[in-house]
Amino acid sequence: MIEVHRVSKVYSVGPVKVPALREVSFRVSKGEFVVLSGASGAGKTTLLRLLYRDDRPSEGDIEVLGHDLVPMRRSQVATLRRSIGIVFQDAKLLPVRTVYENIAFVLRVLGAPRRELTARVFDALRVVGLSSRAQAYPAQLSQGEAQRAALARAIVRRPPLLLADEPTGNLDDAMAAEIVDVLKDIGAGGTTIVLATHQARLARALHRRTITLDGGRVVKDEG
Amino acid sequence: MLGFLVGEALRDLRRAGRVAISAIVLITLSLAALGGFWLVSSNLGRAVAQWRDRVRIVVYLKREPSAPEAVLGRVRAIPGVSGVTYIAKADALRALKQVLGKDASVVDHLPANPLPASLEVTPSATAATPEGARDLVGRLAALPEADEVAGSADWIERLSQWQRLLATIGLGVGAVLAVAAILTVTTATTLILHARRHETEIMRLVGAPESAIRLPLLLQGMMQGLAGAVLALIALMAGYSLVAPRLEPLVNLTLGIPDLEFFSPFGILTLLGAGTLLGGLGGWLARARREP
Repeated sequence: MIEVHRVSKVYSVGPVKVPALREVSFRVSKGEFVVLSGASGAGKTTLLRLLYRDDRPSEGDIEVLGHDLVPMRRSQVATLRRSIGIVFQDAKLLPVRTVYENIAFVLRVLGAPRRELTARVFDALRVVGLSSRAQAYPAQLSQGEAQRAALARAIVRRPPLLLADEPTGNLDDAMAAEIVDVLKDIGAGGTTIVLATHQARLARALHRRTITLDGGRVVKDEG
Repeated sequence: MLGFLVGEALRDLRRAGRVAISAIVLITLSLAALGGFWLVSSNLGRAVAQWRDRVRIVVYLKREPSAPEAVLGRVRAIPGVSGVTYIAKADALRALKQVLGKDASVVDHLPANPLPASLEVTPSATAATPEGARDLVGRLAALPEADEVAGSADWIERLSQWQRLLATIGLGVGAVLAVAAILTVTTATTLILHARRHETEIMRLVGAPESAIRLPLLLQGMMQGLAGAVLALIALMAGYSLVAPRLEPLVNLTLGIPDLEFFSPFGILTLLGAGTLLGGLGGWLARARREP
């Protein structure tokens, strides 16, 4: 599903080279739920960005869902992304659209038939427990609800891989627990999940395989 | 998918608000100016074409030839002559009587037919220009039978120059306004690009095809252009229906064309197409200038 081999990423800030990842290697199998753990600046977000080909590594190879990401052309990135659901710390909901419209938007831009929209959107909303808030606008949602709406948008296409970058970062413990439960449910359905979090307690509570990054290196891979 | 793209383009247009309206107004003005000059120029062009067909050079003969066919043969052989008709003295008098109408009886009091026999020469297309007509007049004047040669194409050429001047002014004014319209559409589209940056980000994240990302921008530009063109057409039609009935008697008298024509269906389609193209170009330029 995911194969990361000796990946390094160095950012250039003027003449200064800032290493973000150093020789990172790991594999994630189909259906696995993996937690990427580490303090802020450990390289989690950089690693996730490489996995959905928002950036290229400076060195090393990455294969995701059978795609070799390093030589991948820009025109091929869209094909890869159609198989990946992505959620961020900021829910990134479109403020002028309702929850329903935010989720349906993704289906529409990918050319889903109009007659399938309602059923698919409500299927996704059911999974995240947000069916009753379909007509609410993002400004009317709590942060936990907004994050669940973002999760619904990420899974509405039923992608085999879900990448979540600090989805609980802005939430209190109760709300974070709700999101984690939703993620577990999604994972139980067969979706491979990579969850990045700086919350060590959350990572431990999940009881899932945890890859710990520190200073851009994998320092622990256990569970 | 097309419905979605059009829906997104309409949503973008609403977002652009007043700037989009300004762009539509500018496109309307530019196409109305272009179309107005085009209308005047094309009607003047009809008059020019009609008068070019009617250019005649008349060779008045010293005396009635005993064998007109021989003279006609020699005239037909002169370069620049498309056709020639012999008008005998009696025919000229009959024509005068027809022109005089109820006063024709005055002719009967003349002691003799004072009108000369003549040759009515139709120049070929190349000789219907001022220079061509002057050359032809010179060649006809050299005929031994010729007493006087009358006719030129100078005034038709002046009319034609006016027509060309009007077309050029129309193109110039239209072009300046068109550039302003394109820039306004570009500005409107740039605002839209900024307003829809979150949508664009989501679209790219979920792997939307480039067409779904870019086409709404192009479409909203084209919609602005089309709306401007439709408004320009409505303004031109209103102007035409208001002015044409009042001007037609005058142009009939002065230019000899019976009526003023509006655009043909092809002309209308051209104007609509030009508006759509202007708007589309504005949208495309904004996208090219600032890739979402």
